[in-house]
Amino acid sequence: MRIAAFDDHKLGVVGADGTLVDITDLLQQYEPLGPEDLLPDLITHFGELKPEIERRAGARAGLPLDRVRLRSPVTRPTKIVCLIGNYREGTDRPPQILDFFFKSPEAIIGPGDTVVLPPHPATIFHHEAELAVVIGREAKSVAEADAMDAIFGYTIFNDISARGLGRSGISSFLGKSFDTFAAFGPWIVTKDEIPDPYALQVTVDVSGERRQDYPTSDMERPIHELVAYISSVSTLHPGDVICCGTNHQGLGALQDGDVVVTSISGIGSFTFYVRDELRREWPRGIDRETAQRVRAVGQRPAAQ
Amino acid sequence: MRLVLTSDNRIGVQREDGIVDVSAAFADIPYRMSADRMPRVLAVLRERRARVEELAASGEPMRVAGLQAPVPRPPKLIAAFGNYREGTDRERQAQDMFLESPDSVIGPGGTVILPPHPVTIFHHEAELALVVGARAKNLPADERALEALAGYTCAIDVSGRGLGRMGPSRIGKSFDTFTPLGPAIVTTDEVPDPQSLRVTLSVNGELRQDYSTSDMEYSVVEILAFISSYMTLVPGDVIMCGTNHQGLGALQDGDHVVMTIERIGTLEVTVRDSLKREWPRGIDQEIAARARGAARS
Repeated sequence: MRIAAFDDHKLGVVGADGTLVDITDLLQQYEPLGPEDLLPDLITHFGELKPEIERRAGARAGLPLDRVRLRSPVTRPTKIVCLIGNYREGTDRPPQILDFFFKSPEAIIGPGDTVVLPPHPATIFHHEAELAVVIGREAKSVAEADAMDAIFGYTIFNDISARGLGRSGISSFLGKSFDTFAAFGPWIVTKDEIPDPYALQVTVDVSGERRQDYPTSDMERPIHELVAYISSVSTLHPGDVICCGTNHQGLGALQDGDVVVTSISGIGSFTFYVRDELRREWPRGIDRETAQRVRAVGQRPAAQ
Repeated sequence: MRLVLTSDNRIGVQREDGIVDVSAAFADIPYRMSADRMPRVLAVLRERRARVEELAASGEPMRVAGLQAPVPRPPKLIAAFGNYREGTDRERQAQDMFLESPDSVIGPGGTVILPPHPVTIFHHEAELALVVGARAKNLPADERALEALAGYTCAIDVSGRGLGRMGPSRIGKSFDTFTPLGPAIVTTDEVPDPQSLRVTLSVNGELRQDYSTSDMEYSVVEILAFISSYMTLVPGDVIMCGTNHQGLGALQDGDHVVMTIERIGTLEVTVRDSLKREWPRGIDQEIAARARGAARS
């Protein structure tokens, strides 16, 4: 099932015919305090709502997708957890130490929105396409064997990253938390529709040029391990997002006027735009230096 | 004014003779849990200030079993790196901050639960915390920035060291229970100069941290200007201003921790470790020397 947010604070399900059926009214019984409650409520009560949602999706043609404005499928999670690295980068190196950081939930944008590059003196702004996992229940210290039960579904994430800011040598990742720097779309696909999350292809096209193009089979640590470890640190809530990290072979600069299409096979595709009032310019194409540097990380004997 | 949230979900104002219930001033604000509620309360605090003060002045102190953190789950929990001169006269370092898990917050009288993870040590870091009271973006680095604040409170940024991949640990600061916060939000008008507050932290009666916020590298308004140039601040966000590392020490099972910021309040918690790991007591001189030397090279 594909769950989409659309127009102004509405939730819908994308039916087999590709149209969008509004299910916002089904969620009013839980008395949402604001639009940010709709998705967590849907997830929390999904078991009881599912028959009616399926009936509606099958019973009537909904709105054509080109007549609605899709929004970020995640509205305001309590946490956006991002993995550091987490891809082998095409090498056969052993997995590195699992590590992660938190990204500002105020950074979220959705399909058709615009990434606004701030005037800060970044060395470059990169796109990082990632598979994102949407949490399905409150989860604390879940065992790896149970971790997939804590997942509701999958969506697509682009982790916009300003490099070269902040204090050198400490990697605060604050350059990833600028407003508009967390692009999600086009919808959430429930996990039953993705039997093998390691058999997906992730791509990014910037203004028609292919940049990232990697399989999730290259992921270092599997999703159940990520969920288990992260939940051993912090309680996760329905609608929280874990972003599985990116393969850096194919990163490139984002700059004013760029049109960015991020896709994952089996999930979908969405577009966002880039604006930079300063009209800074970087070389187009793939950033080979970053690609090489990250690939080399694993070739050293051990991470510090 | 000193605003608190009681363990039975009443919003109170601390007077010298006790806590007065002012929940009536916010009765129209719907909520599901205290985590939802306080950001909404703080968003209207300024406009309802007169009503709150009237209730606080006219009411009788109530029986209070305990307090929650004044913001039990902030929309964002932001922490400044370093940010103290550590008693030296060095040049200030580049300003930087990061986000911690909002689920790490606990309230006064709570228990810090040390996880079984193989850290090298768990440190306490006593910090002045800013509580945001209004949506804000691109604040100026002067006293106008303070208008975005509801007030100040105390925070202990408990830090498990040696986890993760690179540089100083950050995930080791996000464990559930690792951010004791409180006891009250002290409104900005009660703190004429946030850069001249004494911060102390004692463990089992032994004084560990004892520093002044005058040693801060980047002041409160510079912190607000910096972070709001990156991200929109929203009511209930908590920003921890960093710590002076001269006086950090280990936290371990059974420890009783008392932190005080002059004019702001006193926050007490206990520590539990089911593994009963042990570290040397007293001040960690090694990390103190390292932090002092940080920007010398």
